[in-house]
Amino acid sequence: MRHLTTIGFLALAVILVAVPLASNNEYELRLFMLFLIYGIIAVGLNVLVGLTGLVSLGQAGLFALGSYTGAILATRLGFDMVSSALVAAIVAGFFGVLLAYPTVRVRGVYLAVVTIAFGLIVENVAIEWQSMTGGTTGITSIPSPNVFGFRLSGYAYYGLLAVVLFLAAAAAHNLKISRFGRAMLAVSQSETAARALGVDATGVRTLAFVAAAVTAGLAGTFYAFLNSYISPDIFTFSDSVRFLLMVILGGAASTFGPILGAYILTYLPEYLQQFAVWQKFAYGALLLIVMFVMPRGIMGSLAFGLKKLRPAPRAVSATEGILAEDTLRRDPNALRSELVARDLTVRFGGLTALNKASLRVKPGEVHALIGPNGAGKSTFVNTISGFYRPTEGEFEIDGVQLAGRKSHEIARLGLSRTFQNTELFGELTVLENVMVGYQQGLGYGLAAALLRTPAMRRQEEECRRAAIGLLAFVDLQDYANEEARFLPFGLQRRLEIARALAARPRLLLLDEPAAGLTTQEIDALEEMIRRIAALGVSVLLIEHHVELIMAVADTVTVLDYGQIIASDTPAVVQDDPRVIEAYFGTSLEHADAAEATP
Amino acid sequence: MSTVVQYILSGLAIGGIYALVALGFHIMWSSAKAVNFAHGDTLMIGGLLAVYFLAAGLPLALACLLAILVGGLFGVVLERIAVRPFLGQHGSVGWMLTTIAIGIMVESVATIQTQGYALPLPSPGIASSIQILGAGVYPQELAIPVVALIAMFGLRLLQHHTLIGRAMRAVAHNGAAASLMGINVFRVVAFSFALAGLLGAAAGVLVAPVVQASSTMGVLPGLKGFAVAIIGGITSAPGVVVAGLAYGVMEKFVEGYISSAAREIVGFSVMILTLLVFPQGLFGKREVMKV
Repeated sequence: MRHLTTIGFLALAVILVAVPLASNNEYELRLFMLFLIYGIIAVGLNVLVGLTGLVSLGQAGLFALGSYTGAILATRLGFDMVSSALVAAIVAGFFGVLLAYPTVRVRGVYLAVVTIAFGLIVENVAIEWQSMTGGTTGITSIPSPNVFGFRLSGYAYYGLLAVVLFLAAAAAHNLKISRFGRAMLAVSQSETAARALGVDATGVRTLAFVAAAVTAGLAGTFYAFLNSYISPDIFTFSDSVRFLLMVILGGAASTFGPILGAYILTYLPEYLQQFAVWQKFAYGALLLIVMFVMPRGIMGSLAFGLKKLRPAPRAVSATEGILAEDTLRRDPNALRSELVARDLTVRFGGLTALNKASLRVKPGEVHALIGPNGAGKSTFVNTISGFYRPTEGEFEIDGVQLAGRKSHEIARLGLSRTFQNTELFGELTVLENVMVGYQQGLGYGLAAALLRTPAMRRQEEECRRAAIGLLAFVDLQDYANEEARFLPFGLQRRLEIARALAARPRLLLLDEPAAGLTTQEIDALEEMIRRIAALGVSVLLIEHHVELIMAVADTVTVLDYGQIIASDTPAVVQDDPRVIEAYFGTSLEHADAAEATP
Repeated sequence: MSTVVQYILSGLAIGGIYALVALGFHIMWSSAKAVNFAHGDTLMIGGLLAVYFLAAGLPLALACLLAILVGGLFGVVLERIAVRPFLGQHGSVGWMLTTIAIGIMVESVATIQTQGYALPLPSPGIASSIQILGAGVYPQELAIPVVALIAMFGLRLLQHHTLIGRAMRAVAHNGAAASLMGINVFRVVAFSFALAGLLGAAAGVLVAPVVQASSTMGVLPGLKGFAVAIIGGITSAPGVVVAGLAYGVMEKFVEGYISSAAREIVGFSVMILTLLVFPQGLFGKREVMKV
């Protein structure tokens, strides 16, 4: 695959160089330049749609915003094209944050609506603010493309656009294979799991939208200079749909798909003209057909077919990896981690799911939390991992107060968890799932990711090797390149453990890890928990399986009706009459007495 | 004084339309956690078909009724072909794009059919205007917010006193559990989309006499209906209706005192600000993330 990408970029470079040589006239070259501008938009939009799974229907608005900003700067303040374009990109990016942040933290779906609305706002501002935008007549007399005072010839401008598109495509590709791209894919597939691994879902989505906004703003200025005239009616909702269609048709999430899509949809109108009034209908129909017949788009379908023909080897060699023990072992002199919860109360409306529950996981121990169904175990787990807010009470890890923090913040402070109903990133490979877990161990920034600096590559390589080591730790190295959703259930549970470990937790929270496992698998799990504890990681185990608990737990805490009714060593808890009552009901004498008095 | 009354009354009229559209979004979202992005076109279908049925010789009441029924049918068909195939998938890209695609197609057919003209729909509601505190309004306009309120209370009655209504609430609460209790979730979802379609088409029939029916008449109300659902809280039926009426009134005031372009700018900015301060909308309740 990696070689194919390189070949792809070479081919793109060759095409970009060859086209101006082959073009017969100005009109052909101009149309191709329009394609380059659309390509830049599509490449940026792909980060949002392909990687993050969000939809923007306001790209035309951002494109217009960039166009107007650039045109106004150039005509009124005498900026050259490059500085106009940069300012336009920054302005568009700023509006990107403004639109995305409040929206995506609620529901991704809302983004589509907010972006449509934004498109309308831009259009109305452009019409209304006549002194600045020229109203409905628009802005004419935009200077011809110039850089630092030098006028660019048609071919030079072409060259500039070609270079920008090429670089944008390369940067988007680099982003995709970096920690940022992985986080985007993870958030789109399971927001819950991503947050539990310390990924800030809102931040990641905002970043993706900003990427789409910045490229649209940049392309807008280029368009203004190419056209030398802009007006409000150039930027319509249909254009937003067309930009989106470029990404979907070419292949969302693929590196070259958006460029291919932009190419097709730049030239298609030339053919669609014969449909005259039916042109708009044709766009709708095309979108519908792609969604049903080829949801992966052209490049996505090709890649899928190729994978079928020549599947990548499923296994990786464990010798490539860093031993999990080395990744996980904590400094033996350092304090082992302690989780303390004090008087945690959680109420859902009138229901008190957790009532003044206090619990202490001693440093380095395996602590089991048990209780009948409905006792409040899941509520407890979801509260201390930040998914529910406690109504009262507090909890801390190694003295750091956690109550009130968001789930990704708690994860970053060293609390990792698995899920009762597994929450994997289904379409990522087994190895990539674990690499998402390692996310917080990667320190490189956005610039390093876009440029693929040596430091970034080094860290990525280390992340990969650590992930392989962790796969070997749970004996999954033979499935490394398989998509996680194809794993059998028992292996999915193990993958979740490896992924949680990759975050290098101080405390590992296992939420019913034995549910649905076979006897042999439970034995393996028991051994795995011992190995994890031996590395100095404290474990909080929520489980029903009594034998497993008796075998591995140092302390057992029992919850019933939201209250802690016992907390001691397994042997003591086992004989506690209150525990027996909670599990088996009242003792026989009581039951007899109850029957005797109807 | 009379201007203020005028703005309030006309605002309530257009607000009633937004409320009806938003109510549809609320109903669809509750049962399917998905909506029809072409819902605005349901409005247009209702308005235009009423005009065409009337032109075909049907009596006005029958033409309107038939147009509304077709709107409901549109909801069902769209749910079946464009929403259901994508419900099991991650994310919302699938149904969002398919419903948008169908919306584009329907709208472009309507444009070709009407050749871009706006067509009047006669109604006894606009025969003469009445004076209230110096403001002139058509009875038709006064009827719209009343219909929106009736729809809201009707929905409540339906949800509390009928089997299908209770099933809708069950599905909204937990689809998987509802399905285990023997509720046919697909049927409930289809019913919800039909109901939303009926309300949308009814809004179209109601507003057509006032604004004239055209192929694009549903675009803005559809978008604003969703904005209103976001502001009011998409999980709350009374919330979206109240927000819809308030949004309409606010619009008229901004339009009257500033300009019609400012109307859209202010309106949508209010939506974004509301999201920032009240992520669940003014009356919406937080959906607990099930882990």
